[in-house]
Amino acid sequence: MIEVQDLTKYYGNFAALKGISFTVEKGEVVGFLGPNGAGKTTTMRILTAYMPPSAGKVTVAGYDVVDGSMEVRRVIGYMPETVPLYPDMSVFGYLDFVAELRGVPDRWDRIEDVLDRVGMLERADSLIRNLSKGMRQRVGLAQAIIHDPEVLILDEPTIGLDPRQVLEVRQLVRELGRDHTIIFSTHILSEAEQVCDRVLIIDHGQIVAEGTPQNLRDRLQKGGRLFVRVGRADGDVEALLRKVPTVREVTSAETGFIISADDNVGVRPAIARAVVEAGWDLLELRPLAMTLEDIFLELTASDEDTAEPEPEEE
Amino acid sequence: MTDETLVSEKTEEVTEAPPRQGRPNGLWAIFKKELGHYFTSPIAYFVAFATLLLTGLIFSNDLRSRVLYQAPPDGTVVLQTLVFLMIFLAPLLTMRLLAEETREGTLELLLTMPVRDGDIVLGKFLGAWAYFTIIMVVMLVYPFILASVSSPDQGVIITAYIGAWLFSGAALAIGLLFSAVTENQIVAGFLGVAAMVVLWLAEILAPMAPPELRPFLREISIEGHFSSSFARGVIDLTDVAYYVFMMAGALFITTRIVESRRWR
Repeated sequence: MIEVQDLTKYYGNFAALKGISFTVEKGEVVGFLGPNGAGKTTTMRILTAYMPPSAGKVTVAGYDVVDGSMEVRRVIGYMPETVPLYPDMSVFGYLDFVAELRGVPDRWDRIEDVLDRVGMLERADSLIRNLSKGMRQRVGLAQAIIHDPEVLILDEPTIGLDPRQVLEVRQLVRELGRDHTIIFSTHILSEAEQVCDRVLIIDHGQIVAEGTPQNLRDRLQKGGRLFVRVGRADGDVEALLRKVPTVREVTSAETGFIISADDNVGVRPAIARAVVEAGWDLLELRPLAMTLEDIFLELTASDEDTAEPEPEEE
Repeated sequence: MTDETLVSEKTEEVTEAPPRQGRPNGLWAIFKKELGHYFTSPIAYFVAFATLLLTGLIFSNDLRSRVLYQAPPDGTVVLQTLVFLMIFLAPLLTMRLLAEETREGTLELLLTMPVRDGDIVLGKFLGAWAYFTIIMVVMLVYPFILASVSSPDQGVIITAYIGAWLFSGAALAIGLLFSAVTENQIVAGFLGVAAMVVLWLAEILAPMAPPELRPFLREISIEGHFSSSFARGVIDLTDVAYYVFMMAGALFITTRIVESRRWR
């Protein structure tokens, strides 16, 4: 559905994207994950034919974003980070405007359907200026799906919402994901975990990791860490744990010890045996699940300070 | 041959039968939105109010003095006033058109719609011109009043209206151009007024300019093409071409500026 090859984008001399490549299959929900300024918005703006790439080839539904720009715009529904709304218009008037721009047939019926879907039917006649942030976000979503696009591109759809609204929008995106191809950017990692089939982690204009949330976690968890809690110890627990084969590192945590081992599955019986043989009680022995947060920090921590700010919304 | 064309026409009809199926009409949608906006915008009401008030005052004063001095009626006085007022009115009406879209981020919406950049610009321009045309239609009350109390030269009045209408189109296009330059409405307005003043004064400044520049300055004078021809009952193709060229040129540059936003 979407193919990106060696996509490069320069703003002046600054390389916002340094040759990224990926594909998105029909029906997939793909999350772009990355800190601000990583190149997420730039990638999306190129995908939506808002601006042309400096180099590389991007096709959406078989159309090139430069040569087939109009066709690309037709198959894409896009919600930019700052939701593009006209405060003086009513919700209905706004959607009517967008629907006419897009040449949606039977506009009024379609607007009703879409408003129902985002749960804004009863606010159809409200002026947009009087809506809460969460409602505006939903109107923005309604705008993006008004023409039932094959591809939906959502730039940080949950930013600035309160926790309940965040849940609602995520729910909505998951629902839409059943019959749309969705690319959706976020810097909240749990969000990507919950909503996406696949995650691309972008940093400094490059893809630093790619895979299902589960996959990514497994991959980076190799030789992961264990938490061990020992009760009633009358000796040096840390020293004992260190002696267990394949254990690389032991650090004492609040109530126990965190162990890094080369093989976090095979080492568990050895630890249990060692503790019991010493005559102590083993209260807890569990793997520490690495969240995407950890993965993310590990992948992108290298040169945090040099991060360039993302180009501001104009 | 005829049969063939008939058939192709028919198939075309069939494919176009469902209402607006797959035929985005951006120009029309934007035109409607902008024209509609003028009827909810305080600035637009202010422009209409000021235009009608000032031209009304001028009209009644002029009429009174002409009656007093037994002078022949002149239906073009209000239009002379109107074209002068356009220096301020056109930027007022157009300053928000693109500046606000840029500032609010809605330009990103428009630029990712299946609509040509030129249609966005043209739709906005036509919306503004249509609104101003409505004001000018209301101003037709003056020649009717004049005709009811005397027998003015209708020919001159008609050409003057045509001229003033073309003038307003050019002025609005120039205002729109400056709305594309900046995202600050006020700055756009000021630049628009400044540009209009320069174009207005070009003829007056001409004698002071170096001789080789004089004909050029006289030619670009936006006022000269009105007051010395349309306002005297003359429709000169050069003057029509001047205003059309001003409109087309300003709209073309505006489109280029909008396009350039994609490259930043």
